[in-house]
Amino acid sequence: MREVGIIGAGMVPFGKYPQRTLAEIAWPAVKAALEDANVPKRDIGAAYCGTALGGMMSGQRILKTLGITGLPIVNIENACSSSSTAFREAWISVAAGIYDVVLVIGVEKLTKFGGGTLPLEKEDFEVAHGLVMPALYAMRAQRYMHEYGLTENHLAKVSVKARAHGQYNPDAQMRETTTVEAVKSSRLVADPLRLFHCCPSGDGAAAVVICAADKLAHYGGVPIRVIGSEINSGKYMTGFRDMTSPEITLRGAAQLYEESGIGPSDIDLAEVHDAFSIAELLYYEALGFCNKGEAGRMIDQEETFVGGKIPVNPSGGLLSKGHPIGATGVAQIVEVVRQLRGHCGSRQVEGAKVGMTHCTGGGISGFDHGVCSIHLFAR
Amino acid sequence: MIPTEDLKKVLSIADEAMIENPDGTIRLVATECRDCGQRVFPPTEVCPECMSESIKFFELSEKGTLYSWSVVHAAPKNWITPYIAGYVDMPEGVRVFAHIVNVDPEILSFDMPVSVCKVTMGLDPDGKSIESYSFVPSMTGEN
Repeated sequence: MREVGIIGAGMVPFGKYPQRTLAEIAWPAVKAALEDANVPKRDIGAAYCGTALGGMMSGQRILKTLGITGLPIVNIENACSSSSTAFREAWISVAAGIYDVVLVIGVEKLTKFGGGTLPLEKEDFEVAHGLVMPALYAMRAQRYMHEYGLTENHLAKVSVKARAHGQYNPDAQMRETTTVEAVKSSRLVADPLRLFHCCPSGDGAAAVVICAADKLAHYGGVPIRVIGSEINSGKYMTGFRDMTSPEITLRGAAQLYEESGIGPSDIDLAEVHDAFSIAELLYYEALGFCNKGEAGRMIDQEETFVGGKIPVNPSGGLLSKGHPIGATGVAQIVEVVRQLRGHCGSRQVEGAKVGMTHCTGGGISGFDHGVCSIHLFAR
Repeated sequence: MIPTEDLKKVLSIADEAMIENPDGTIRLVATECRDCGQRVFPPTEVCPECMSESIKFFELSEKGTLYSWSVVHAAPKNWITPYIAGYVDMPEGVRVFAHIVNVDPEILSFDMPVSVCKVTMGLDPDGKSIESYSFVPSMTGEN
């Protein structure tokens, strides 16, 4: 396997673009990534496009706007992990020596559904009976609060942190800061989760260019190295699964740490899948940033704020940055690239050398999550 | 085992996962693999453990215990909100997603006994009522 580096990154501010097509939303992110990489379009060996609900031929629709056609374009659907999966597949193709330079796109336009909870697969039995994503996370939260003494204040503080970070991210959808009191008085969505505990719905796109290490000299610049890549599907469980313990993230993190030789204490920042405030807390534990039951203490002591022991979601995370689902995986990677380059201004994690992205996707019966992909990067 | 013709009487969204008794009470139906014993709810036609297609239907108990729940205020249109979504653990070893009905959510507690019942959960886009199973806290003294 060859070493692989990221040489270009770009994204558009997440928000609501109902009047723009998917392609119109995405092309500026692709162009920004290519210009950042200093890669002429003829050098792109292949493109991988992750989108969950973008529809057929999303990659071709986007890339024709920039005249990047005639190359292999692969469209990938894996729920909220669509573009982290696309990145993983792109990485494999370059590491294996199939291509030297590959473009990865994540894109979604959720405004076309008119707002509300994420549309899930109606053939699923639990979805047909009224399971929605906020309810699933809310039931995790209820059980975790019961077993480990987590409070509404702990949950609220995750949202406060997200907005505190996101205020400094020009690409974030929700940039106003908030308070524990404001979070606790926002409207109920699925008890105990309130509106500010839930990531905003919207549109967006992000793109990166990756390159084989032995071809980097063609393009100049300092690459961000891919030092770990992992993907798993969830385990289907018909019995009594422990909803306080995200099994797929636990399993994936253990595998990634073993394969990469990197441990949780080596990580300077992490972009994790905080679709709801409770999720981020569960992932502190599953990713090994603290022990089981300690997530509440960790947020209380602000260990995951920028400036703390292990900053989590310096971008603002899904809670502040927004979650156009197929775009999220690559957008997380864009933030880690910017952090490791030291380009993040007031939200910069000082001296960051190793960063993680963690992206899950769920919404079907019998799984903790359907998919999870975790990556590690270093400068 | 429930005869196939009985299963076909069920015309709710629970499909073959629910049967209605002559007295109007209902029971949930799961499947068990004849080869490896794996139990699954809702029923499947192939065993997810050993891939055997030798599957038998069986009735679940009336009562289970409430693992977790949430009062849901945001749901796709056609659902009557707020509703209580929950996971119920059945003594036969399967977990069932269900609405919890006819109860003030303030009195719900973890692992409390709940009993299966039938309910109208909402309206489909044509205005027809959606029927399925749900659970209600078991009466005191019957636990």
